[in-house]
Amino acid sequence: MYRGREGQWAFYLHRISGVAIILFLTLHVTEISSSMFGPKWFNALLAFEANPIFGLGLVAVAALVLYHALNGLRIILMDFTSWGVKYQRQLWYGVWVLYVIVGFPMLFAMLGHVFGGGE
Amino acid sequence: MAMRARQFEEAKRLATSNLELAWWIFMRVSGVLLVFLVLGHLYTRAVVFNFHHELNYAHMVKVMNSPVWKFYNWVLLFLSILHGTNGLRYVIDDYIASGRVRAWVKVLVYTFVFLVTVFGTIALWGWRYQPMG
Repeated sequence: MYRGREGQWAFYLHRISGVAIILFLTLHVTEISSSMFGPKWFNALLAFEANPIFGLGLVAVAALVLYHALNGLRIILMDFTSWGVKYQRQLWYGVWVLYVIVGFPMLFAMLGHVFGGGE
Repeated sequence: MAMRARQFEEAKRLATSNLELAWWIFMRVSGVLLVFLVLGHLYTRAVVFNFHHELNYAHMVKVMNSPVWKFYNWVLLFLSILHGTNGLRYVIDDYIASGRVRAWVKVLVYTFVFLVTVFGTIALWGWRYQPMG
């Protein structure tokens, strides 16, 4: 249907982001649930994760989540409307427009947290 | 087997079983819910709770003991784990050709995901957090 063009890229990015997100999700659930081990353990874990490398990792995961969310809505429009498949390429450009509009404020908010911003 | 259907009518035709069609529908329904739940999660952590400055054990205890956040996080946990694991199943079905390897990979993935989910559920519902240990 759309081999080698925008639709193919949309599909691969959806898969790659999906796999990355479920990997992060299992790590994240484990990390947060380990608060059961008490304040000593958990505050030490948080101090370890205060490293900007982890912060940048969170920014990357958020970037993947935002793409997966918006492209997922595109897939649903393709599935349940009569016109979605015909305009799938235009919808994908729409995904990127929304990505920039929603993503830039998110990026700046998160980078502000990662690099101090009034610590 | 995972479906490559691009429309609901096509999905109904291609589904090898009612269960497979149910998963196809679940991915769409949970997907819409997750858009709002996950973006709400990111927004509350990053903006409302200002996560790097206020996130510490004492703050976690407050969140983990709040019935509203318990429920929110539990719905988020279950929908995202089911959505993500079913997505992984599609990927495994598409890229691992050998039936034997595929079966083992699924056993390992499902076991790991199950343990993580149990751990998360205990943390949400089965644990009394002491305010400051």
